[in-house]
Amino acid sequence: MRRALLLLALVSTAASAQLPGLRRRAPAPPAPVLMGIDALRADFIARTGSDKVYFGGDSSGLTPQATATLSAQAQWLRQHPEVVVRIEGHADPSDTRDHALAVGARRAEEVRNYLILMGVPPAQLSSVSWGKERVAVQGSSAEALALNRRVVTVLVR
Amino acid sequence: MLASRPLLAFALAFLAAPALGQGPVTVIAVPPLTTPDTKNSGTDSPLAVAYQASDLIASDLRSTAELVAIPPSQKDYYSYPEVTAPSFSKWRARGAKLLLTGFVRARPDGRLTFGCYAYDVQTGRELGRKGFAVDPDDWRRAAHKCSGVAYTAATGAPGIFDTRVAYVAETGVATARVRRVAVMDSDGTAQSYVTAGDTIVLTPRLSPKAESLAYVSYLGGQPRVRVVDLDSGEQRPLVAVEAMTFAPRYSPDGNRILFAMQLGPNTDVYVVNAGGGPPQRLTNAPGIDTDASFSPDSSRIVFESDRSGSQQLYLMGADGSGQHRISFGGGWYAAPAWSPDGEWIAFVRRVPGFGLRIGVMKPDGSGERLLTAGPSDESPSWAASGQELLFQRTGPDGRSSLYRISLLGGEPRQMTTPQDASDPDWSGTLD
Repeated sequence: MRRALLLLALVSTAASAQLPGLRRRAPAPPAPVLMGIDALRADFIARTGSDKVYFGGDSSGLTPQATATLSAQAQWLRQHPEVVVRIEGHADPSDTRDHALAVGARRAEEVRNYLILMGVPPAQLSSVSWGKERVAVQGSSAEALALNRRVVTVLVR
Repeated sequence: MLASRPLLAFALAFLAAPALGQGPVTVIAVPPLTTPDTKNSGTDSPLAVAYQASDLIASDLRSTAELVAIPPSQKDYYSYPEVTAPSFSKWRARGAKLLLTGFVRARPDGRLTFGCYAYDVQTGRELGRKGFAVDPDDWRRAAHKCSGVAYTAATGAPGIFDTRVAYVAETGVATARVRRVAVMDSDGTAQSYVTAGDTIVLTPRLSPKAESLAYVSYLGGQPRVRVVDLDSGEQRPLVAVEAMTFAPRYSPDGNRILFAMQLGPNTDVYVVNAGGGPPQRLTNAPGIDTDASFSPDSSRIVFESDRSGSQQLYLMGADGSGQHRISFGGGWYAAPAWSPDGEWIAFVRRVPGFGLRIGVMKPDGSGERLLTAGPSDESPSWAASGQELLFQRTGPDGRSSLYRISLLGGEPRQMTTPQDASDPDWSGTLD
């Protein structure tokens, strides 16, 4: 039983690593398209400062720092109309599960709307909420919670 | 089923004698079930099944906060005629308030007949009985039904033993959990997995008789409610929309499903027939309305909303009319669940500095009590009895498991699962 379970876990980790858009990836095979997106991702972060913006507790309002980051992201995305991104909204683990899902969606929506306002064509943008299901930083300290209240702009292709 | 008529007669008799259930803990004697078929003592003989069933009944009753069982012992074996004419003086002397007797008998068709009787040891009065025929493989369910007879005699509440539990089984490290929807009998046996673990899943919710299950899956890239028939394994989306749908919960009759749908910045509560069809929108306030739960008569719905600026509990009619807030204790209130007896609404309370704790309040918002200490307790789900809750407790390492807490208070007791477990849902008593 134990062996079978372990195997399953390995198989599914491998499967999810192949999903486009996951930031943690297996070493890329020498496929030019994949190399391309890795280079694009590096360029995106280098030129925009960050692929993440952070939020206050229970809030989906954009801080001045967030709008600065998003303005830079919008500019980069306008210059790369071939790139599609997924805007991933997260809540912190002090929230309850379903409310966290809705809050993550609301934050992602806020970021998506801002990027559209800044001139990014909606066709370049999709969004999803991970609620509190993909914790970036473990722990219940104020700092850990704050680092989890985030929206990540993930380059998909 | 022999069961329905004697049960009804019992329910009426019990109303006249409510004293038994009032102590915090009732001592019940559970001598081994007997059988008229004493000649046969093979491993699947009625005699062997009777002993196994007696042990399971004692174990069931030990798992409750209301009963303490004097366990089955071979020296207390009694004959078949004594099932309905037991020796009360013997049990009185040993301090028992209740006595459970019963028998297992082979039927000509290869099945087994179970009969169980609960007595008040002081007066010798019968408090309840139940009889039914089961396949030999289903002896555990029959034993759980007998446990239910004892539990109902002690508390006046429905039995909680012949029930199922759905939850999310979790393996792997915290940042990359593999999650599968799992279903098991509430005694921890008959584990099965409904999803394969290749997609993140959340909040499985059983239909009242555990025939089907609604859950949230990231299949297709967006969290959406899916419904699965637990017999056939057939699955389908609850509603055919692109939008995020979540927080499903069945109506008490199993015919409808409440859920939340996010459109733009707004999340609202909807209801749809469990078999499909167009959903009906029940809320439209700006903000997040979610986690709706029907009253047992389906006339009202409790849900959470942050329309006031923070998560609070609200009531409305089944058609969405008359929405009004019922939680005013400070902090945030979330994840309400209406008890099957209608008396209580369980919830998660978020208090800064204290984390997430499980509590209950009356449907009018009065009588609020916190039952757990937190700091990461959530997803309360009622036992069929309405006397206790199953919930998820997450430790500082991010790992979670399932716990039971009685309305009487006390320490939460863990419900054993093979892996880490979250998002529990406890079914009603099966037929």
